[in-house]
Amino acid sequence: MSDAPILLEMRSITKEFPGVKALSDVNLVVRAGEIHAICGENGAGKSTLMKVLSGVYPYGTYDGDIVYQGAQTRFSDIRASERAGIVIIHQELALIPELSITENIFLGNEPRRRGAIDWKSAQRQARELLARVGLRENPDTLIKDIGVGKQQLVEIAKAFAKDVKLLILDEPTAALNEADSRHLLDLLRGFRERGITSIMISHKLNEIESIADQITILRDGRTVETLDVKADGVDEDRIVRGMVGRELSSRFPDHTPKIGEVFFEVRDWNVRHPISAERQVCKNSSFVVRRGEIVGFAGLMGAGRTELAMSVFGRSYGVWESGTIIKDGKEIVLKSVADAIAHGLAYVSEDRKAIGLNLLDDIKTSTVAAKLSKITKRGVLDEVAEYQAAEAYRKELRTKAPTVDEGVSKLSGGNQQKVVLAKWMFTDPDLLILDEPTRGIDVGAKYEIYGIIQRLADQGKGVIVISSELPELIGLCDRIYTVFEGQITGDIPRQDADPETLMKQMTSTKKMQTR
Amino acid sequence: MRTFFAKTVAIGAISMLALTACGGGRDEESGSDAPAKGFAANSLIGVALPAKTSENWVLAGDLFTNGLKEAGFQSDVQYAGASTTVADQQAQITAMVTKGAKVIVIGATDAAQLSTQVAAAHAAGAKVIAYDRLITNTPDLDYYVAFDNFKVGQLQGQALLDGMKAKKPAGPYNIELFSGSPDDNNAGVFFNGAMDVLKPEIDKGNVVVASKQTDVKQTAIQGWKAEGAQARMDQLLTSTYGSKELDGVLSPNDTLARAIITSIKSAGKKVPVVTGQDSEVESIKSIMAGEQYMTINKDTRTLVKETINMVKALQAGNAPQVNDQKSYNNGSKVVDTFLLPPVAVTKANAAEAYANDPKLAPLTKS
Amino acid sequence: MSRFKDLQKNLFGGTTSNARQFGMIFTLVAIVLLFQFLTDGLTLRSDNLIALFQQNSYILILAIGMLMVIVAGHIDLSVGSVAAFAGILVAKSMAEWDLPWPVAILFGLLIGAAIGAWQGFWVAYIGVPAFIVTLAGMLLFRGGNQFIGNANTIPVPEGFRVIGSGFLPEVGPNTGYNNLTLLLGLAACVAVIWRELQSRRTRHEMDADAGPLWVSILRLAVMVGVIAFAALRFASGRVGTSFPVSGIILVALVLLYSFYTRNTAGGRHIYAVGGNSRAAELSGVKLRRVNFFVMMNMSVLAALAGMIFVARSAASGPQDGNGWELDAIAAVFIGGAAVSGGIGTISGSIVGGLVMAVLNNGLQLQGVGTDRVQIIKGLVLLLAVALDVYNKSQGRFSIIGSLMRPFRREASAAPATSEAEREPATTTVSG
Repeated sequence: MSDAPILLEMRSITKEFPGVKALSDVNLVVRAGEIHAICGENGAGKSTLMKVLSGVYPYGTYDGDIVYQGAQTRFSDIRASERAGIVIIHQELALIPELSITENIFLGNEPRRRGAIDWKSAQRQARELLARVGLRENPDTLIKDIGVGKQQLVEIAKAFAKDVKLLILDEPTAALNEADSRHLLDLLRGFRERGITSIMISHKLNEIESIADQITILRDGRTVETLDVKADGVDEDRIVRGMVGRELSSRFPDHTPKIGEVFFEVRDWNVRHPISAERQVCKNSSFVVRRGEIVGFAGLMGAGRTELAMSVFGRSYGVWESGTIIKDGKEIVLKSVADAIAHGLAYVSEDRKAIGLNLLDDIKTSTVAAKLSKITKRGVLDEVAEYQAAEAYRKELRTKAPTVDEGVSKLSGGNQQKVVLAKWMFTDPDLLILDEPTRGIDVGAKYEIYGIIQRLADQGKGVIVISSELPELIGLCDRIYTVFEGQITGDIPRQDADPETLMKQMTSTKKMQTR
Repeated sequence: MRTFFAKTVAIGAISMLALTACGGGRDEESGSDAPAKGFAANSLIGVALPAKTSENWVLAGDLFTNGLKEAGFQSDVQYAGASTTVADQQAQITAMVTKGAKVIVIGATDAAQLSTQVAAAHAAGAKVIAYDRLITNTPDLDYYVAFDNFKVGQLQGQALLDGMKAKKPAGPYNIELFSGSPDDNNAGVFFNGAMDVLKPEIDKGNVVVASKQTDVKQTAIQGWKAEGAQARMDQLLTSTYGSKELDGVLSPNDTLARAIITSIKSAGKKVPVVTGQDSEVESIKSIMAGEQYMTINKDTRTLVKETINMVKALQAGNAPQVNDQKSYNNGSKVVDTFLLPPVAVTKANAAEAYANDPKLAPLTKS
Repeated sequence: MSRFKDLQKNLFGGTTSNARQFGMIFTLVAIVLLFQFLTDGLTLRSDNLIALFQQNSYILILAIGMLMVIVAGHIDLSVGSVAAFAGILVAKSMAEWDLPWPVAILFGLLIGAAIGAWQGFWVAYIGVPAFIVTLAGMLLFRGGNQFIGNANTIPVPEGFRVIGSGFLPEVGPNTGYNNLTLLLGLAACVAVIWRELQSRRTRHEMDADAGPLWVSILRLAVMVGVIAFAALRFASGRVGTSFPVSGIILVALVLLYSFYTRNTAGGRHIYAVGGNSRAAELSGVKLRRVNFFVMMNMSVLAALAGMIFVARSAASGPQDGNGWELDAIAAVFIGGAAVSGGIGTISGSIVGGLVMAVLNNGLQLQGVGTDRVQIIKGLVLLLAVALDVYNKSQGRFSIIGSLMRPFRREASAAPATSEAEREPATTTVSG
């Protein structure tokens, strides 16, 4: 592998923003036909490096040289880099939901004949491209009608339409379930065989370990090392050590659960889809939570976990049909989010940026947002109380920010998540529902968030954790429910939980009771 | 903290007193009711005109600018904006008062909504002349200068009858009526003047308003807008003149007349007798081409000249010449008025009527 | 860092959103001084200042409501028509039904509330975009105005005119000034000082840096100076004039709504809904109630603005309210609000409105025609917002950012605040 010609070399790249040095003296060597992973914690400079490469930050706004296919490049914008065959696929997919697959693939790159778009040729080419990425779907289907996994494949097909030589994928599997992720990784392997070079940014170290040929690790805007996976015998722990700069003994803090009585129970919960009423998203779901217990919900994408959680949380999703909620022995009816909050429920959503936070707010405003009544005196907001509350949580959760006046949009993912946690801890909940609490968060911050979750449980609160990462559920939860197609298919205590058992229950309607 | 507070308040209060002491307070002499004994010959004269919706206002503005300059005054001639007319004019008049204008000539956009500004002008010692449109509900208006608008209406009505008779010797004649913007005091005066002539004929059955729309509220065109007149004519043609012949249209001015003719022509109908007013260039062309029947020559030059004469008289400390001190009651008082006579113009007398007009005279030689 | 930085940070409150406002106040002062020079001192003369407030108070009142609508992520195109509709009804109620004028004002506010409830219902409970609802309202209520008024002008009685063209009475000894205006000015000075102390105490309780004392004193000196100057100017107009009644209504509303938007849960909810409505909803904010409120409130203020204009014009006419929505919206955006909602302040909008008003007034005093005034105003709106957008896209914070740029060089050598964010969050891992 190491004798393959060098396709790309980035030499001593330095990029400064006013007051901040995002990259200093970064070097990257990518050989033709390899899969090169870039690892690093959030804020380490991965995305900035890729933006420099793809011309988002044009030539002249950074220091250093980029040599691509043996020549010095001076990209003025993304189009210039795309013409050279460098295509970047961002974490947030750049597809237009109301357009078809074909239209999206050729958006801005339409095949023309005599000035008009040649749709016939576009269709034909789209079919070929879809075949190459292994997507069996009618090219006329609208993007909004296919799942996230398939959308990712359309993005890649779009890259091929531009005659890609170097494919850059930023967190390609972050939003995908296990099956889709596996398919995508297989696809990347296929590309490697056909000589296409890929750069991949990912937090999922197991994936990197299994697919990458070379790994470059960034830390604090500097290159730490470049590892050859096979030659150096790299494993996950080795990567983590590079990223954080020291050995990480355990990925989960030690914890002895103090589990009490059942205090929260949902019985025979039925909910329909908000738009297509024939779809039942929760079918007769029943579950219980004990004081001090961390309960996991495992399931594939679209199994209905989020839908269940949100519909319990003041009917904030779907059309409620039937079912009861019992808390502390009494039936409660939660018709709105305000009701749910008043009854001690809290829901930390899976999509921090879209629905969890107001990105225009600063830390203190966000912290108190869900319970303004707590800082209101005679109808007037008490700024001092607000500040003190926010400051207390900032210290308790170790949120990295200079002051609580800092805007949340400037924080890294992990710190944003801490602000969201603070916001819900501020409401003094009895039951916290955490939906994908560590998505898009780097290793160190994950560890901290696990610690916070455990502390909350130790205070006698019930915690529900919804996660797509099975190791996380197994490492963190005292008990795990599996969900498949809107039904709860299993209730598995920690000692019986292993990936195989969980996966079996997550993909079958057959009920299993282990106790 | 307390002492800091007390100290700062004290400093604030003292500094304010200090400023009060040396500021000097009000200018007591700017009171108004000192008897007017004229003013400096190079004083500022303000002219506030409506939006530039017709050629006449543009012409009037130019004439004022030049005429006042020739008379040795400084002038400030302003037009209201196209959409925010009333508020603009209010602000412009106030600005003129601030700048110390001695006389303010106002061609009102809305005759009833300027009383506050006229009062302010009066209080500041300026004389206010209403130009062409009478400003209502204010005791502070000094003079009004205009053409005799009732006469204008009468001339239009008479010309309409004469024109139709010339084309078709015997009635009954089918006609339609249009009137101007309801917020313009003059619009009703034109209409009443015309109806003064037409009403007896309508009552006799010799003239028929086929659409039965004879109320001024039905015939009014908001804001004197051409598109309003065109739209109304389109609707009348569709609703009433499917088979009937239209013989004449009473239009209050040239802009509307041309819009009406456009509508009729695009409906494929024969152009009837259409009246007008203001002697606009396009309408003179139309009259010479035999489409529009008549217009009224209210020579803007004369009107502006008379207005400037008033200003000159005021400057010298004399009472300006007026010729009507009983007809024009604006709701608060009877305003001293100078009226000029209008002239009806058809193809027959156009060359003679515009002989002295450098812009229009060439058009009449064909 | 330098004293300059201190000043920048603390002079106008210290938080980031105020930086934009500082830029606007700076612009306002510059424009005022420019015209003061160009018009040989007419701009700051008593009668002109009084006229300026009388002419613009109704637009600024609209801007208050519009700010809240825009912050909530909507727009209201109907304000001019609603103002005209309420104006004609109020004028009629006094002319034909002989309502006493205070009752008529109440009646006008009720009309505003009813119209607002109608528009709020469609926006909040049916989910029709506010742009459409108020576009419909614009036609509806303009037509309503013409229908009821028959496109006539209806005069209003003397007593009613006070809210549009009235002044404070002359009381007390003859000081050569309007005494009540002086008292108002003194009260404003005291209030400003009290607030400054209050805010220093608050910062203290937060254990936060209250900023150097000299900045506080400088700020107070500037503000007291400006207030004293304004009070003396307003008090020294022609006998019988003072700070105008419409101006007092405006100031009262500005204080009231600033307090509401900044210091109450209701106000906070408006920003939350505009910033991210789904997130607000999931935080327990009652979306519909907030949307209903801002739309309804806007119409009530529009009705008030309509009445003030009618009172000033002494009559209600068919042209009332034409184009007001655009003036109000322009004021809000010049004042720093974001088109997408969630950002903006009442005071910013007022400053934005004043920039337009002073520009208008100054150009008119210069004898510049409305055609050119409109061109200039259009360009100012575009440039003000474009400059802000440009600065944000450059990662600098808005106008003030670019003003301060030459002073940054020394600061950039030392790591700035965002350092903490990049610091890897691993310090606790070892435990």
